[in-house]
Amino acid sequence: MLPIDVKPDKLVKEMSDFSRKLGRGVENLLDAGEIDTGVTPKEAVYREDKLTLYRYRAEKGAKQGKVPLLIVYALVNRPYMTDIQENRSTVRNLLAEGQDVYLIDWGYPDGADSSLTLDDYINGYIDRCVDVIRRRHDLDSINLLGICQGGAFSLCYTALHQEKVRNLITMVTPVDFKTPDNLLSAWVQEIDIDLLVDTLGNVPGELLNWTFLSLKPFSLTGQKYVNMVDLLENEQNLKNFLRMEKWIFDSPDQAGETFRQFIREFFHKNGLINGTVQIGPSVVDLKQITCPVLNIYAEQDHLVPPDATRALRGRTGSTDYSEVSFPGGHIGIYVSGKAQSQIPPAIAGWLGKRAEEEEGPRAKGLGPRKKKGQGPRA
Amino acid sequence: MSDKPFWNDDWVEIQRRYWESWSEMSRKAVGAEDSAVKTWEQALDHWWQAVSPAAPEMAHDFMGRMMEQGKQLFRLAESFQNADPGDAQSGDWSETLARLSAEVQRALSSKGEGQTPGMMGFWEMPLHSWQTLVSSFSNLPGGLPEGISSSGSGFDPERFLSAPGLGYTREMQAKQLELIRLVGEYQKAHEEYSDFFSNLGERSIERLRHRLEEYREAGEVIDSARSLYDNWVATCEEVYGEQVRTAEYARIQGRLINALIKVKRQFGIMVDDQLGTFNMPTRRELRTLQDRIQDNRREIRSLHAQVHALREQSGAEAASRKKAVRKRVPGAVKKKAAVRKKVAAGKTAATRKGEGR
Repeated sequence: MLPIDVKPDKLVKEMSDFSRKLGRGVENLLDAGEIDTGVTPKEAVYREDKLTLYRYRAEKGAKQGKVPLLIVYALVNRPYMTDIQENRSTVRNLLAEGQDVYLIDWGYPDGADSSLTLDDYINGYIDRCVDVIRRRHDLDSINLLGICQGGAFSLCYTALHQEKVRNLITMVTPVDFKTPDNLLSAWVQEIDIDLLVDTLGNVPGELLNWTFLSLKPFSLTGQKYVNMVDLLENEQNLKNFLRMEKWIFDSPDQAGETFRQFIREFFHKNGLINGTVQIGPSVVDLKQITCPVLNIYAEQDHLVPPDATRALRGRTGSTDYSEVSFPGGHIGIYVSGKAQSQIPPAIAGWLGKRAEEEEGPRAKGLGPRKKKGQGPRA
Repeated sequence: MSDKPFWNDDWVEIQRRYWESWSEMSRKAVGAEDSAVKTWEQALDHWWQAVSPAAPEMAHDFMGRMMEQGKQLFRLAESFQNADPGDAQSGDWSETLARLSAEVQRALSSKGEGQTPGMMGFWEMPLHSWQTLVSSFSNLPGGLPEGISSSGSGFDPERFLSAPGLGYTREMQAKQLELIRLVGEYQKAHEEYSDFFSNLGERSIERLRHRLEEYREAGEVIDSARSLYDNWVATCEEVYGEQVRTAEYARIQGRLINALIKVKRQFGIMVDDQLGTFNMPTRRELRTLQDRIQDNRREIRSLHAQVHALREQSGAEAASRKKAVRKRVPGAVKKKAAVRKKVAAGKTAATRKGEGR
């Protein structure tokens, strides 16, 4: 017997419920107004071209570590994902854990930026941001947290400027770009990258969106909207959904030359693994990374498979390498309730321990803030 | 009635009555039960037609997507409700699945001719996403024009397109022919891409059969449209996920993207030519300037860094020279001071003497 038995009266009820939710929800949808993202107060401390370096403000009276943490986000999406809403903010939770958090917002490159290269981003923008922070804090080196493509940039930066990085944290960062389960990599091998960049100049965000949505087209362009109908009646849930929707489609164009180099050096040549990535005059050798490294990956990551990330183990020159696995996906690692209670404390704990080891008794009390009787934040 | 412009609970009741009346009328008219889903869709469309003018434009896209997916959801359930009862009882759903398979072919061969398919319309999603992307890339609404077809006419487009340009405008003719040739290449690539998905639609039906078999063996029943829809999504995603990992798909997709970009490049060349005739800056010129400016910026930064380093170096050298002098002749400073004191004392004495005169 066919194991499908949708009774006519049940079908009618489901249709009726769907209509009701849609009808009521449209009110909420229209009342939703401007979708706010990036909720933690911050100040711009440095600007250059389209880039802004922000420093996040901790709550009054909160203790902050001596060594600031600079977040280097990917170019392909907007960095407010790390601070998307009050109860889902990696930044806010890092502040609560005693970190002094800076973040590079790359802005939206336009045609005038199409000639920017990886050298300009890594030895230029990132290096100058690091210098600004070092000067502000009178430090020789700071902590670096690279996310996704920003993690690959951070690896390159640290390998080339090890003296300026005290501790390196990489999050959902591709290292081996040719693992068998890396769908993006398989697809990109057949793209004529020179034709693409020479023709388009900057690579449009729409093309990247299409690529990401093509990874799971039925869930991401179909089922998602059925799920949304279920959320429509709850104003708060609807706003959360709309924030994510905004982030997904808020894709800056990619500076053409940087994109060309990134695809060729990382995806085509698997340069981090093969030691062939050329940034300006230098070749990136991961063995030049000698500071402590914390590598965080997501177990169900469909964009950067865990194997692509875990490939970092044994490839740096560091004697202090740790991994943290998160039971979730590429996006969930910043925004899920579980991530809020696991990732920032893990980062702060790891940094605090290194600070204590490095500075001895002086550093005591600068590690993660102890929470008295406080459960995981949601 | 509530004061909500878009919704009130009375609407559910009105809609229910509407369905009942419609179904009753349909039964009387054709002597058979009409599709409840179709009736619901009509009611939904009427509602949206009535309220949409009051909704801002930005909400239309969202609502359109939700409504379309809702329709897919219930059409899917109805497809199975309409399964041959004998077929279903026997456990051999070949008839039902064959019907669905035919639906796939119909859906994918309709190529947007207005026939919105049932559950298999789902497999148009990747194609629809691509069309949306192409529209955003193209200057032409709806994407690129149809390619040249040679079917049945004895006309050989390859031969036509390879003919050389003649006369004063030969360069322009050659570029136009090249554009037509590239659009044709793009159409072929697109056809191959569409065919790939048409095969996947059939595979997904077969996979659904296995999934249903698992349900049957476990003694479980799918008893809601939503659950059936979620199963169908998971099935399609599974089949899609397997196939798009293949080298064949990477090649097909790469060919499609490269073909599109080649068309775009040719458009660009021709637009540049036109701009040149108006003595306006071309894309090529701008690109050259952008590269040069960026090179200059790098050079200036490098020179700044060198100047800074030189200043630091000279400052450090000056400081170390002073230090070195002090270290080398520790008595010299004292001696000089003593000499200075002596001279000063002599001057004072002389002054005093002078004062005494």
